Amino acid sequence: MPHTKDETYGDHTSHAFNDELMELKAQFLKMGGLVEQQVENAVQALMDSDGHLADETRTRDREVDQMEMDLDEVATLIIARRQPTARDLRLVVSVIKMVADLERVGDEAKKIAKLALQLSEEGQAPRGYIEVRHISNHVLGMLHEALDSFARLDASQALRVKKEDKNVDAEYQAAARTLLTFMMEDTRNISRCMSLMWVLRALERVGDHACNIAENVIFMVEGEDVRHTSLEDMEKLVTQDNS
Amino acid sequence: MIEQGSQAEIVRQSLKKRYRKERRFRMYGRVAIAVALASLLLLFVDIIGKGYTGFIKTTITLDVTLDGEAMYLDDPTDKDQMSMADFQAPIIASLQGYFPQATERSDVRQLSRLVGSYAGNQIKDLLVDNPGLLGSTQTLEFLVHDTVSVYVKHAGDEAYSVRLSDQQKGWVDELVEKGVIDTGFNDVLFSRGDSREPTNAGILGAIMGSLLTMIVTLVIAFPVGVSAAVYLEEFAPQNRLTDFIEVNINNLAAVPSIIFGLLGLAMFIGLFGMPRSVPVVGGLVLALMTLPTIIISSRAAIKSVPPSIREAAMGMGASKMQVVLHHVVPLAMPGMMTGSIIGMAQALGETAPLLLIGMVAFIVEVPDGFFSSATVLPVQIYLWASSAEQGFIELASAGIMVLLAFMISMNALAIWLRKRLERRW
Amino acid sequence: MNTMNPTVTSETGAGVVEDKVAPVKEERPAEAELEEGVTVGTPYSDDPKFKLRNVEVFYGESRAIKNISLDIARNEVIAFIGPSGCGKSTFLRCLNRMNDSIDICKVKGSLQLDDNDIYDPSRDVVELRARVGMVFQKPNPFPKSIYDNVAYGPRIHGLANRKSDLDDIVENSLRKAGLWNEVKDRLDATATGMSGGQQQRLCIARTIAVSPEVVLMDEPCSALDPIATAKVEELIAELSESYTIVIVTHSMQQAARVSHRTAYFHLGHLVEVNETNKVFTSPEHNMTESYITGRFG
Repeated sequence: MPHTKDETYGDHTSHAFNDELMELKAQFLKMGGLVEQQVENAVQALMDSDGHLADETRTRDREVDQMEMDLDEVATLIIARRQPTARDLRLVVSVIKMVADLERVGDEAKKIAKLALQLSEEGQAPRGYIEVRHISNHVLGMLHEALDSFARLDASQALRVKKEDKNVDAEYQAAARTLLTFMMEDTRNISRCMSLMWVLRALERVGDHACNIAENVIFMVEGEDVRHTSLEDMEKLVTQDNS
Repeated sequence: MIEQGSQAEIVRQSLKKRYRKERRFRMYGRVAIAVALASLLLLFVDIIGKGYTGFIKTTITLDVTLDGEAMYLDDPTDKDQMSMADFQAPIIASLQGYFPQATERSDVRQLSRLVGSYAGNQIKDLLVDNPGLLGSTQTLEFLVHDTVSVYVKHAGDEAYSVRLSDQQKGWVDELVEKGVIDTGFNDVLFSRGDSREPTNAGILGAIMGSLLTMIVTLVIAFPVGVSAAVYLEEFAPQNRLTDFIEVNINNLAAVPSIIFGLLGLAMFIGLFGMPRSVPVVGGLVLALMTLPTIIISSRAAIKSVPPSIREAAMGMGASKMQVVLHHVVPLAMPGMMTGSIIGMAQALGETAPLLLIGMVAFIVEVPDGFFSSATVLPVQIYLWASSAEQGFIELASAGIMVLLAFMISMNALAIWLRKRLERRW
Repeated sequence: MNTMNPTVTSETGAGVVEDKVAPVKEERPAEAELEEGVTVGTPYSDDPKFKLRNVEVFYGESRAIKNISLDIARNEVIAFIGPSGCGKSTFLRCLNRMNDSIDICKVKGSLQLDDNDIYDPSRDVVELRARVGMVFQKPNPFPKSIYDNVAYGPRIHGLANRKSDLDDIVENSLRKAGLWNEVKDRLDATATGMSGGQQQRLCIARTIAVSPEVVLMDEPCSALDPIATAKVEELIAELSESYTIVIVTHSMQQAARVSHRTAYFHLGHLVEVNETNKVFTSPEHNMTESYITGRFG
């Protein structure tokens, strides 16, 4: 269903309510952008063994945390003041949940940055970077798509994110196996390879969070809770409603 | 766009003007009330000034020797003798005791005119009741003649003494000095009917007449009026006929009261052959006159019952009749009663329609039933006010005061009832 | 949110008006597209107390209710919401024929209470109102004592023969209305001296004193402060165990709090009926959504 922002949330009788919802959305997207950047930077720091960038990424996580608290406050105030219902209620509730996801993504970025710092001090791992690059591109794309689907209220886009998750999982399995084989071949690299394993693990988690966000977007748009629902059912819901 | 400062200035200036206007308006109101109060005060002063003497009676106390010879009477039980006897004689004899030199025929006549013409009857009644008193000496109190009464009450005012001769004035002054002629509260006013003689005329007949008439009016107008109002408000279908009836009731309220008199004359006396000048007919006529007032005020009272109460009762499953009887009528009752009492007070003061049905007759007897001839207070006042004697003028004013007292107490009753019965919702 | 399609419980009982069953909608109906006699959601019930079909109400020439069909289930609390003038109060008043007293008001269609026609000419409206009680917007106790207020209904219907029976009814009703402890020492005090919330609960006690099967409430809390409102809502929740309750309310939060199902009225149409939880999280009809989210009305 084609929705523009203003059509969906911007036509309340109360202008103040409109503004509050707009503010909530804008802040959320801003936080999403920041978190995306964090993941990207952390991965970049890892690739380039850039200790400086890694350090910067770690400190910027505080900003993410602050934004989480701000957003929670905005959402709480909207509930207290406006008692939102229906799609407004779904928006607020979803944002509260998605903010938690974003914050966790931020934490994962911080974790990656920490590992990057560690690796830049210990020296690079002999292999595995290609896999990291690959998966990170993949999950960053998912995160971006999820945020985009939120911005456009596009359930089918959100569904695509959800579908991607399987691929990421598969890639993670493959990359983990590769690293494992390598560790078995050369036991001296175990510690550094383990660090990369952690990075891969963190990236895989980012993908999961992106999926959660996508699920919430579907809930926001369709009004159906699609957590713990099979992909087929989800697809049915989204496509039937969009036809 | 006006600047803030200048706007405030404009407001301030217009404010001054507004307050001036307000003050002026308030002043008009005060002036109007002052004028009304002054007129009222003038009315009261006038009426009370003229009428307070009506509440005073002048009496003469004499030792009367009931001398059979002088009265040409030897057996008080003999009716023939009694009708022939001269009961004035002992009084004149007693007065001659004070003024021994008054023996001339003209003096005697003047002496006899000092006491009221009913004094002889007083002695007669005494002897009829107690035949044994013949020959004894009794101390009796008589009403003085009207002219004497007026002279005594307005002592020193030349205008009120023209009907007495100088000799009579001398006697009266002497008797007043000796305390033989005295003044006191006029109980006659409240214990007798009308009379040709002002000193002997009372208002009781008229009060009773008014009371009886009002009872008839109330008994007929209140139930009929309230029922009509309840029916019209609650049960009548909304159609042309109901509208027509409503318009006519409102018009009837504005019809001059004398028209109702004509109606009563034609209908009750002409058509139904009821007797003239009786309280029943008067009451019926006044009931007709009061009905529109009662109906209109009762309808207003019923309308003021909040619909929420009706809805509540209906929602409880009360039938239409139950809603009306249990809730609407009790709640409207204070209003209906107030309207009725005000209507009754109006009827109490009404003269015109009663003139037409003959309640204007001279009636001495105090009425004792709904079918005995009677007159009513306002008519009595009208009769007295149009008489020539000063005594009657005083009585008319006294009558007005009594009537006003009645009306004020009726209005007070209306207010009291409303305050007592009114319920808040 | 357990179903995703706007589904309609299909009628199973006799006397079904087939064409009135709203077709399964594939899409959300667009705004300003009100089809007469079509209600999305679940307007029908398997165990209806009220079975209302093709109800139309006319005020003179104008049609205040346009072809509404609805079931009100036994012992449910159903809330009627909608903008002012949407006909929800009018519709409510049809249920115990309170509209009868308005001459120009005509009701058409089939309205059945336990399979008996409410508007049957031979039906006694007094009996109907004893079964279907009503609580009004403004607390309207009779200007009598608290006791007499509650005892009024049982008295006119002859429910109690002895004084002690009547006392029992009064006490029970006041207890059910949660008012007994507040007023037991002053039953002879005049009811108009109570606070607004107490008055409204007294009105509820008065209504349930005749043991009705259904209680209609026409904006029962609109004149009350929030605490009194909370008490009345609490009472509604308790009463819903033994009574069918239909409540008209302007407060959507109230509808959300107290009712099991919510019906949204608009311009005389019954737009949507659904589980309250569904209506307030993801209504099916756009107009319902616009209304409850504060976009018009």
